[in-house]
Amino acid sequence: MIEFSHVSKTYRGVRALDDVSFAVGPGCVTGFLGPNGAGKSTALRILTGLARATSGSATVFGRAYAELANPGARVGTLLDAGALHPGRTGRETLTLGAMMIGLPRTRVGEVLDLVGLTGREADRVVGGYSLGMRQRLCVGHALLGRPEVLVLDEPVNGLDPQGIHWMRVLLRGLADSGCSVLLSSHLLHEIEQVADRLVMIGRGRILAQGTVAELSRGRSLEETFLDLTANADRSVS
Amino acid sequence: MTSIPFHRLLRVETRKLFDTRSAKIMILVLAGLTVAAIVARGVVAGPRPRMLAGTAGVGFGTLLPALGILAVTGEWGHRTALTTFALEPRRHRVLAAKCLPPLLTAVAASLFALLVTVPVTMIVARVEDVPVDGGFGPLAVLGWTATNVLLVAMGLAIGMLLLNAPLSIVLYLSTPALGTFVGRLGGTGELLVRWFDLNTTVGPLAKGDLSGADAARLAASITFWIVAPMTAGFARGIRREVT
Repeated sequence: MIEFSHVSKTYRGVRALDDVSFAVGPGCVTGFLGPNGAGKSTALRILTGLARATSGSATVFGRAYAELANPGARVGTLLDAGALHPGRTGRETLTLGAMMIGLPRTRVGEVLDLVGLTGREADRVVGGYSLGMRQRLCVGHALLGRPEVLVLDEPVNGLDPQGIHWMRVLLRGLADSGCSVLLSSHLLHEIEQVADRLVMIGRGRILAQGTVAELSRGRSLEETFLDLTANADRSVS
Repeated sequence: MTSIPFHRLLRVETRKLFDTRSAKIMILVLAGLTVAAIVARGVVAGPRPRMLAGTAGVGFGTLLPALGILAVTGEWGHRTALTTFALEPRRHRVLAAKCLPPLLTAVAASLFALLVTVPVTMIVARVEDVPVDGGFGPLAVLGWTATNVLLVAMGLAIGMLLLNAPLSIVLYLSTPALGTFVGRLGGTGELLVRWFDLNTTVGPLAKGDLSGADAARLAASITFWIVAPMTAGFARGIRREVT
């Protein structure tokens, strides 16, 4: 459903992504794991057509994202939970998204229920939201069009344990119904709880990918991750 | 699957212009100022509709372009461009849909000012028992409305080019001072102002008596302050990587 094929990106002489290739199939939650600055957000922005790859290609449904006629109806995106207008209410934020995708207004209420925001919370301006509420609102925004593919950048960042549990149940349910989910995080323990497969990235390069069991190989996943990222740092410096 | 029709983008962008707290406050302030300014000017200056509407135009020339600047820069400032352009990657359509509502708002605001001016003029004329001052015919009304629209377009063009609200508003609001300054730089300065200072060249249009030479000067300054920055701004908005 999602495919990165030899994607490289150079920013002002710095190689942010180096020959990144991986695929995300249907019915599975793929965790995109890497330390801050590893290139996760850059990769997801290239995937969604917001930034350009220097070489290589990223596709959804076998096509460039920007070629999708009404992308919000097929691909749900959360690219930055901080990217909300503080002067708009949560309900208004979702209403604008629903209007743009061409959904009935009733979908806004459904999504609010789905992400657990109450009517009173939805009618408050986003500027007063906690980080957790913003995350829920943004996840709701991504779910508006009942997408087949979900791309979530750091969706569990800032969630409390209950929030992480909620996210796990939600994403599991979506994946079981055939949705393919790609979510990024720099927090190993949080992503370990929600993802079936992991793609590890460091310094713009894919370090390892596979199921959680394959990657840990008898050790703790944390050791594997720290080993891999440490090696990536050494090979650069 | 069909792509997003333009009218839908237009509806969304129109809604965005008015659905934030700051925009609502700005509209209320603008409406209040318009009524207050027209009434006050009417009481002091008598039943002179051109002058009364012109008073409202001073507020329009500052607040409406600021509203337009906020409309075209806001998504970059709040980074909601990430969401908007993820929903419609054909960015030129979004940018076009963003520019139209502020221009239409300038037309609506001009109509509103006229709707306030007419009764105020009549009442003042009746109370003070003086005849209504003529000279605000259809052509003058049209020219005055077009002036309000052009000033908003100038704000939009600056906003599109700079993609930064405070910077754009400051630049827009300092253009009259800039014109004055350049105008004092000798013969070349005067020539530049006569041809390229939009605040100066809209004068004849706002009065509704545009000669051929005036029109040429107006066109030159529209090219400089609206067409060129708007074109560059479109290119920038379409190419810029959203981060």
